Amino acid sequence: MPVFNIERGESLGILIQQIINGLSLGSVYALIAVGYSLVYSILMFSNFAHGGFLVIGGYICYFVLKDMGAGILIAGFLSLLGAGAAAILTERLAYKPIREKTNNTLYLLIASMGMSIVIENIFVVTIGGRFRALPDIIPTTPIHLSGMATISAFDLISLLAAVVFLSILQLILVKTKWGLAIRAAAYNLRIASLMGVNVNLLISLTFFIAGTLASVGGIFLAVRYTLYPQLGGITIKAFVAAVIGGLGSLPGAVVGSIILGLAEMLTAGFISSQLRDLVVFFFLVITLLVRPQGLFGKDVGEKV
Amino acid sequence: MSAYTEGIICVLCINAIAVMGVSLVTGYTGIFSLGHAGYMAIGAYTAAILTARYSFYFIPAIVAGGLLAALIAYIIGVPTLKLVGDYYAIASIGLGEAIRLILENGGTFTRGARGFPGIPNYTNLTVAVCSFVIMAFLMFNLINGRFGRAFKACRDDYIAASLLGYNTAKYRILSLVISGFYCGVAGALLGGFLLYIKPLMFDMMKSTELTSVVVFGGLGSMSGTLLGMVIITLITEVFRPISQYRMLIYGAILVIIMVLRPEGIMGQYEFGPGMFKAIKEKFKGDHYSEEGRKV
Repeated sequence: MPVFNIERGESLGILIQQIINGLSLGSVYALIAVGYSLVYSILMFSNFAHGGFLVIGGYICYFVLKDMGAGILIAGFLSLLGAGAAAILTERLAYKPIREKTNNTLYLLIASMGMSIVIENIFVVTIGGRFRALPDIIPTTPIHLSGMATISAFDLISLLAAVVFLSILQLILVKTKWGLAIRAAAYNLRIASLMGVNVNLLISLTFFIAGTLASVGGIFLAVRYTLYPQLGGITIKAFVAAVIGGLGSLPGAVVGSIILGLAEMLTAGFISSQLRDLVVFFFLVITLLVRPQGLFGKDVGEKV
Repeated sequence: MSAYTEGIICVLCINAIAVMGVSLVTGYTGIFSLGHAGYMAIGAYTAAILTARYSFYFIPAIVAGGLLAALIAYIIGVPTLKLVGDYYAIASIGLGEAIRLILENGGTFTRGARGFPGIPNYTNLTVAVCSFVIMAFLMFNLINGRFGRAFKACRDDYIAASLLGYNTAKYRILSLVISGFYCGVAGALLGGFLLYIKPLMFDMMKSTELTSVVVFGGLGSMSGTLLGMVIITLITEVFRPISQYRMLIYGAILVIIMVLRPEGIMGQYEFGPGMFKAIKEKFKGDHYSEEGRKV
């Protein structure tokens, strides 16, 4: 039920609080959405197994923390490596044979759905589908902002981590030779290969980057919502964010994620928390009706 | 016939109606969809509410479910299908999820996430088989006639089709509307068979299943779709005792099919004398190829 009977100062506090929550959630979406967009920009298909990489990263982090007693830095590092390796393996096993055989991206799309079902159910079969809470690795102590709003340290840390990782990605893309190759491949994969880029290595690298970013998002989502095999399903929202921003555009993915995170949290705070998921898909449908190529999309859909 | 066998036949007939709809839109018209479970949900809830709450006779309730699903398909199809590209596919994800969420938050009207119990048992063996026969008869007539050729023209080369005077957007929308009707009817029958429906039954996994059955059977082959549906339904039935491995095996089959034979089990062939003729021609062609080896 809407809460309108609160006093004015309090509602301003809630507004600030929800904006910070929204930015924090949006930044986690951004880490995942960027992976979707990166893969889409090169192979022109939506990799629905992306949610699986996130779950793999989350579980590696959980088990390293719990069973090996390692610190968060080691656990995080291992989970990034593991999710990246899983992404490369997925590409080599399922996508490479298909893309060598045919140009039709529909087959890749369906294979990616198959892979997402496989990854999810490997966890269900081997370690069970119960919800697991990560140990307290990220502080969630409340921080008071001059008496007006109370925010969690966790939200600030996840926002900060997203900014750091996205900046690293941007540096890789702009400053390194392989970043240049990825940008060239996003422009045209075939021409990039004619220019002497090792396409298979490049695609593996892209999947590795997408997997590591998904894993960072996965750890933060696992802290926020606990860890379970179906956690990857939440990436559908990140996918929607990537579409709103324009599939294949990295700034678009970030902007779309922030919009979505804010919309979701403001709806939850001021209207009803049951409607927050509906708002996401409402945004998707509106985007497709008004501007189908997304905010930053380059390809204008051709009229039939 | 045991009740179990009857149940399997009913499930097969209901699934067949749904996948025929998806095959028309994905296989014949080349529009990829990830939200057809949403149309099934509309059909199921419409029929359930009409029969259980307003005590309608089941036939008008089923038809109403199909028509409402077709109407929703029209509303979502008009803006997205005028564009070339995957826009409908993406919109359909949003649509399917939005329908599910609306049903979950529908209050007393849809009874929310816990589901809608107490649907009268109107889908028995006779109803299921008769619906399947009628729908299949109409579908095979449709795809072998003028409209079927127009749909295929839109799929294979929309520029050439539009130069021949086809309004391709109109045909794409028509195909989606018909397919929405089929899925709506299938959903309505499913409600009458299970006597209980809940929004989670029509999630994205169900939509994926519908589309992957079509791809598994062969894009552009109606009989291949039906064959693929029978195989997948029976495989999942066989693996029911080890249900935790069922989805794992299902996912793995999907990937393996895509890697080994992406055109599906039937390719674009239909059952009948034409299929054997075409296969014979193919082997003949191999035999006399210029290099003198099988290609």
